[in-house]
Amino acid sequence: MKRCLALLAAAAALLFAADGRRAPGAGGGEPSPSASRLDAVVDYCFDAALADDPATAGAGPVNVLDDKWPPGAIGGEVEPVRMIADLHPTFDGLAVDSVNGRIVMSDENRHGLLAYDRTAGRAAEMVTEPLRHVFGPKTRIGFAAGVAVDPVHKEAYTVNNDGGDQLLVYGYDAHGNVDPVRYLRIPHQSWGVSLSNERDEIALTVQQSNAIVVYPRTAKGLDAPIRQISGVKSQLHDPHGIVLDGVNDEILVVNHGNWTKIRPYTLYDPLVAAGNEPYEPGRFFAPSITVHRATTQADAPPLRTIEGSRTRLNWPMGLALDTAHHEIFVANYGDSSVLVFGRTAQGDVAPARVLRGALTGIVGPVGIGIDTKNDELWVANYGDHTAVVFPRTAAGNARPLRTVRNAPPETPTCGFTNVSAAAYDPRRGAILVPN
Amino acid sequence: MFARLANGNVGPERVIEGQATRLSRTMHGIAYDDRNDEIILPVALSGAILVFRGDAQGEAAPIRVIQGSRTGLIRPHTIAVDTVNGEIIAADPSSRAVLVFKRDATGDAAPIRVISGPKTLLLDIVGVAVDPIRNVIVASSRSRGPTGIMVFDRLADGDVAPRAYIGGPNSRLAHFRQLAIDPGTGNIFLAQQRTRPKRMDAYVAGSVGRPRQEYREPDSSEDSDFGRLTQTGFVAVYGPDDTGDIPPRAIIKGPGIRHAGAGGVALNPRTGEIIAVGGNGISTYLLPEFFQLLKRSRGPETETTPQ
Repeated sequence: MKRCLALLAAAAALLFAADGRRAPGAGGGEPSPSASRLDAVVDYCFDAALADDPATAGAGPVNVLDDKWPPGAIGGEVEPVRMIADLHPTFDGLAVDSVNGRIVMSDENRHGLLAYDRTAGRAAEMVTEPLRHVFGPKTRIGFAAGVAVDPVHKEAYTVNNDGGDQLLVYGYDAHGNVDPVRYLRIPHQSWGVSLSNERDEIALTVQQSNAIVVYPRTAKGLDAPIRQISGVKSQLHDPHGIVLDGVNDEILVVNHGNWTKIRPYTLYDPLVAAGNEPYEPGRFFAPSITVHRATTQADAPPLRTIEGSRTRLNWPMGLALDTAHHEIFVANYGDSSVLVFGRTAQGDVAPARVLRGALTGIVGPVGIGIDTKNDELWVANYGDHTAVVFPRTAAGNARPLRTVRNAPPETPTCGFTNVSAAAYDPRRGAILVPN
Repeated sequence: MFARLANGNVGPERVIEGQATRLSRTMHGIAYDDRNDEIILPVALSGAILVFRGDAQGEAAPIRVIQGSRTGLIRPHTIAVDTVNGEIIAADPSSRAVLVFKRDATGDAAPIRVISGPKTLLLDIVGVAVDPIRNVIVASSRSRGPTGIMVFDRLADGDVAPRAYIGGPNSRLAHFRQLAIDPGTGNIFLAQQRTRPKRMDAYVAGSVGRPRQEYREPDSSEDSDFGRLTQTGFVAVYGPDDTGDIPPRAIIKGPGIRHAGAGGVALNPRTGEIIAVGGNGISTYLLPEFFQLLKRSRGPETETTPQ
């Protein structure tokens, strides 16, 4: 284990030597808000060995640090000559608890959940100190995406989009390397999550299955959804952000527009899918906001759809609803903007307001939330280690009121997470990676 | 796109993103065609293959899109390009097939060859590469049975057995992904994320109504697919004629590979560099000896017939 620490510390030193900044410490133990982000990496080194999976016991886990394997091979424990990585958190999903004055954001990069006071970001800080920071192997957080908060029961939710298909729930006091208070197994590539205290339900989007699933609020383990919306009529096309509107009994979803009728593909599924359904080719649809009746079951058309060139939708990610002022807010990643529509808008309509421009500090927004009590708009940027806060009605190229930082100003982001392929372009001397 | 010499916490030099690109935010394959200066990507969420100009940037539209009912594509996961014979090779774990298209195919184009069926041993196909010099297509596939590297004649078509298979307990192949081939030697590089097989998902893809009945809740210690150090993955290298239940002839393993996870691998033979990617990192290794023909230098090996 000492070797593990030393080499990871060396890796960190290598990373930070590139821009002349000090390498963070590599101390282990329970993380604190000011602790090095490297701790999250180090923590994974201290886990107990895994049990064999009976289904595949013949090819069970092995200790690859065994120096005798593979016999006669060249190479071995080699250190990289270069490494590209971001040791800081990235902000992804975001949820606002107006009642308790708390903002919660997920970190897809270092696999954590960060909670801030609603007034955070006032000072010209290098890094904004979170109230709570949940991360480490016990937390089960993987490539975290959407976030929801429950102001009544003081719980925060996040979704593992990959790296362990779970909805994870933590008490507001959770901090450090802690177990979730409960977790729920969910379909792979779930992305958005929304909680309605009025309905006492949770709703999630599922990207690859083009679906919405709804569970009781307290669902856990292998509890099944109580309702699902999916199918061609539903017009769900790679859904992301979601709002379960308990006031109007509706579910609002933003869709990227990708669609394929997926068939089982894992190593545990048969060669030919059960039922052998007719083949349907993939399609591209326009990005959209679809609004569904909250009680819809199975394949039913949406109540309303916002879609078309006037909408300016472009890789829409997070979604928020202001039920007091009847407005929908969209984190529009594709052109680094926030779009605002009337709650009942439909068709090819222009947004009522657009917040976009260099002064806004909006860069690759993923999460969005409305603080109705204090009339503020929160935006989580995947693109530059910040979350920015505006008056709720801000429009145009407006400056933020406050900026919350999870890294020192001007810290770059690598722009990728969960990368699983690469190519090399010898013409330009470039490494290509898809996200 | 990152500069080859990029190091540390740096941003990309160039990004292709946005609605007009037709990319999704979940893609696990990429190929670069250096003869025609094109970038090729499979989009699993829309059953499509996209081709971009090599210098594409920003919200650039693809110059060609392969998508439609004749393509046979459902969830294309990984991709390779044969610049000598002018072909794009896609692997689709949902259609359980390796599909070969003409390089300039566009629209609703049918594949010119399809490798699929029980004899192929292909199931969860997560990596594909082509060697136009030695005339082979190499796929990495995971199943409850044959799990490893399947080597096919380049012109194989239909339900055909691989001409070579690397897998079995001695290979320690389990949870791997992308393949790459060094054109100079034919050496086969495989990125393995971890030595424990990928766990069963609780839900079947496309069936979100209830969890699988056979799903078994793991012990808390085995729940995560993030690598514990002793079981983390590696980059394995095999000779072009290797087959059977054999360990790799060259390997990158240990803590250094942990950060990149080893989900993908790319090669720069001119400089002797191996680029491993995975999780949230990109690591480059300088190992010119891996680009020499790897010879047999160890004891007897076991030839296996996959079950």
